[in-house]
Amino acid sequence: MNDENTVIDAQVAKVNTPAGDDIILDFRNVTKTFPGVVALRDVSLQIKRGEIHGICGENGAGKSTLMKILSGVYPWGTYEGQVFIEGQELRLESSSIRQAIEAGIAIVYQELTLVPGITVGENIFLGKEPLERGVINWDKLYADTQRLLEEYKLDIHPQALVKNLGVGKMQMTEIAKALSENARILILDEPTSALAEAEIEKLMEILRTLKEHGVTCIYISHKLNEFFAITDTITVLRDGRVITTQPTRNLTVEKLVSYMVGREMTERFPESHRQPGEVVLEVEDLHAVDPEEPSREVLKGVSFNLRKGEVLGIAGLMGSGRTELAMTLFGEYGKITRGTVKLEGRPISPKSSRDAMMHGLSLVPEDRKRHGLVLIQSILRNISLPNLDRFATWYKIDDNAELKASRTFAQSLAIKAPHLNVQCNTLSGGNQQKVVISKWLMSNPKVLIMDDPTRGIDVGAKYEIYKLINDLTAQGIAIIMISSDLEEVLGMSNRVMVMHAGRSAGTLDITEATQERVMALATGIA
Amino acid sequence: MNTTSNNVSVQGVIANLAKQFRANIQTYAIIVAMIFIWILFAIATGGRYLSAQNVSNLIRQMTVTSFLAVGMVLVIVTGGIDLSVGKVAGFVSVIVAQFQANIWNKILPGQELLTTILSVVVGLGIGTLVGAIQGYIISYLAVPSFIVTLGAQWAFNGGILIVTQGKTIPANQPLFSWIGQGYLKPIAGWVVALGVIVLLFYTMFNSRQKKRRYGFELSPLYMDVLKTALYSVLILVYVVVVNSFNGVSIPVLLLAISAVVMAYVSNNTRFGRYAYAIGGNREAARLSGVNIKKNVFSIFVVMGLLCGVSGVVLASYIGYGTVAAGQGYELDAIASCILGGTSTLGGEGTVFGAMVGALIMASLTNGLQILNVPSSWQYVVKGIVLILAVYTDVYFKKNR
Ligand SMILES: Nc1ncnc2c1ncn2[C@@H]1O[C@H](COP(=O)(O)OP(=O)(O)OP(=O)(O)O)[C@@H](O)[C@H]1O
Ligand SMILES: [Mg+2]
Repeated sequence: MNDENTVIDAQVAKVNTPAGDDIILDFRNVTKTFPGVVALRDVSLQIKRGEIHGICGENGAGKSTLMKILSGVYPWGTYEGQVFIEGQELRLESSSIRQAIEAGIAIVYQELTLVPGITVGENIFLGKEPLERGVINWDKLYADTQRLLEEYKLDIHPQALVKNLGVGKMQMTEIAKALSENARILILDEPTSALAEAEIEKLMEILRTLKEHGVTCIYISHKLNEFFAITDTITVLRDGRVITTQPTRNLTVEKLVSYMVGREMTERFPESHRQPGEVVLEVEDLHAVDPEEPSREVLKGVSFNLRKGEVLGIAGLMGSGRTELAMTLFGEYGKITRGTVKLEGRPISPKSSRDAMMHGLSLVPEDRKRHGLVLIQSILRNISLPNLDRFATWYKIDDNAELKASRTFAQSLAIKAPHLNVQCNTLSGGNQQKVVISKWLMSNPKVLIMDDPTRGIDVGAKYEIYKLINDLTAQGIAIIMISSDLEEVLGMSNRVMVMHAGRSAGTLDITEATQERVMALATGIA
Repeated sequence: MNTTSNNVSVQGVIANLAKQFRANIQTYAIIVAMIFIWILFAIATGGRYLSAQNVSNLIRQMTVTSFLAVGMVLVIVTGGIDLSVGKVAGFVSVIVAQFQANIWNKILPGQELLTTILSVVVGLGIGTLVGAIQGYIISYLAVPSFIVTLGAQWAFNGGILIVTQGKTIPANQPLFSWIGQGYLKPIAGWVVALGVIVLLFYTMFNSRQKKRRYGFELSPLYMDVLKTALYSVLILVYVVVVNSFNGVSIPVLLLAISAVVMAYVSNNTRFGRYAYAIGGNREAARLSGVNIKKNVFSIFVVMGLLCGVSGVVLASYIGYGTVAAGQGYELDAIASCILGGTSTLGGEGTVFGAMVGALIMASLTNGLQILNVPSSWQYVVKGIVLILAVYTDVYFKKNR
């Protein structure tokens, strides 16, 4: 690529921005359509210099699409309307995403974009490696990475391979990468969906510092309280339209929710009357090691039991072994070195997902892109994939029954798509997550393990998912719900198991569980 | 009752057709390309290209490699490749020729029907066995398919030389020859064609009936009728044309059966669905409970079986087993798949597309032969067409 030519288009038009000079970004009547979908309708929006501007809205409202226009994924000419940056029209050329970076815009996408097979440092400096006589200066690259990570107090090794990091650390790496651009405008599209409380706090701290340095930030999230912790202004999108832009101090969570979903929502969690029955799953002193690195113990003694028709919440910090526990129970990851897993009194040791499913376990995996979905396939094919056995004889799949069952779930979770034959990679992040949940809800297991199931899902749809969880428990299905969202864990569980450093640090009944007690166990102080 | 089918308006029909066209633009683009090639050659050869005899020949010529393409689709869909198919088919053909020429007449003299059946069984058996061995190494021992099948390509090249001793083995006994060279009697051709058409319409109405029972919205009746009628007309045209020459050729019939069976399997059975899921995202498929090893293994077994079919037809079609048997067929098969829209990244591709791809390749070769283009230039043209076709595909995808 030729660097001299990749500044903002020379034929920029000087325009007087109506609200004075402190407007850094100005969207004017932006409309973006995809085949069969209008993602943005006549969006006009102004962002002031130096503010943190929150954008919220339901899944599929158009938030990510708007940001992708800014970052050059959808270049100039593929949308209607105009975008002005400091009074000059932004005209990004196609296939030149670097151009946006040169215009001072850095973005953290909702979906991770790191290259898994290379190191953290290589990822951060991808495309801008420090050169010395035409050859990459590795020492400098890693030293710079080290400095960057230290500056933001991120506990990540510069030479770690990205694929070996958990989703949370990948997310922090992604953020570090964007920060390394020294951008004027930083866009964060759901940066916290994969982060636990402590990391979120860290991110908030970073953003406050950046704000002091005059960086403008656009912040997208489905965790509404974050808006109140950090933003100055909030814009609400619904069905591709701007519903309102208001100073944060004029808003409340309730008001925000009603703007988002278009009606009042009085409660976050539906009422439930669960009556847990006998124990279905018993895990005792489970130890497991990383199969690729047998000297690394990932589970160091986990014990709990799970009753029919109850929800056991699992809380814990990033890296506390929650996902490893889920994957190990599902026969996918850890090699069990000690301890037992008993299902309905009988010891089991699943060797593969298939094995685990035969025993009546199901897992909603944490990483939807990698483990959850076949992105190039339709919603229908994805939902039915683990459930084909029930629609199929050896020579035939009953595609009508398949469609009918899939549709039931797609409708109850309100997956936003024209029809079920839409490819999953055209769906918004939250809607993709709904597809993953549908496919596992349909599998009708004895024990359903959900690893951060409501990640990236809007408040309205979360409520629907909680209702479905209640329906399942009413049918006697036992649910393990791992979540980084403490409120959710406390709002939905009968009991909460807290993990710390690969161990179960304690199990609390919901009547005695408070945020403080959970955090104390999670950080190992209690 | 479904209302849309009652008020058929011209605009409605056109709008629906246009929608259909846009949705399947890739498939139609390649069909349009094929028709374009036909017209071009028809003009260049002064119509000789589209004579009954040549159409019959052209379609017959594509069969041997097309059996391989039918199997190759699923192999590529799962993200693998099979470079050994040409030589495996060649190996099967020389073994079968060997049995026909030198073995049956010693142990089962005068039993033509039985020995022909046994030859087929031996051919299919060897193909399947080879597929199973390769599949086992690829899936259970986790050696990349590229490597295993490359090795097998060399090994079977050697195998062919060992069996033939560098000589040509005749396999031209009348009944055996019928497999690769025979024709259905015109009347039989008509019966088969009509049977298929009745079946097409029955399936169409049956599926609408079922959909209605489930309360699903139906596509307009005339659209379904139109589509089925179009297929029927194509079948009839083919039968009319070839009946005016020799009749429906047996290998073409065999190919049609294989292709229909595999197309059905890839869409309507778990085995097929899993193949696409594995190619689309291996990890997600595994976590959905798909037994990846078993599935990949089975796909290579099926590929082996089709190599067997191809080998038997090859021996019978050319009438002998030779050193050069199957030379380069794997590349033709792969090219047919790619031309037909199979993604080299896995997860995408159809048997139907591969058949159209194979037809394009055969149309090109045949046309260039008629025009007496030297074979050196035939390769050049074929290479360019392949690259051009894939570029068009990439272009359409990007600008959708
Ligand atoms: N490449 C595409 N092709 C077709 N439709 C698309 C494409 N990308 C997005 N869409 C559609 O545009 C709409 C807006 O999507 P977008 O990703 O902007 O939503 P979002 O507000 O970010 O939602 P979420 O909260 O779930 O991330 C959705 O209906 C989505 O299906
Ligand atoms: Mg989004």
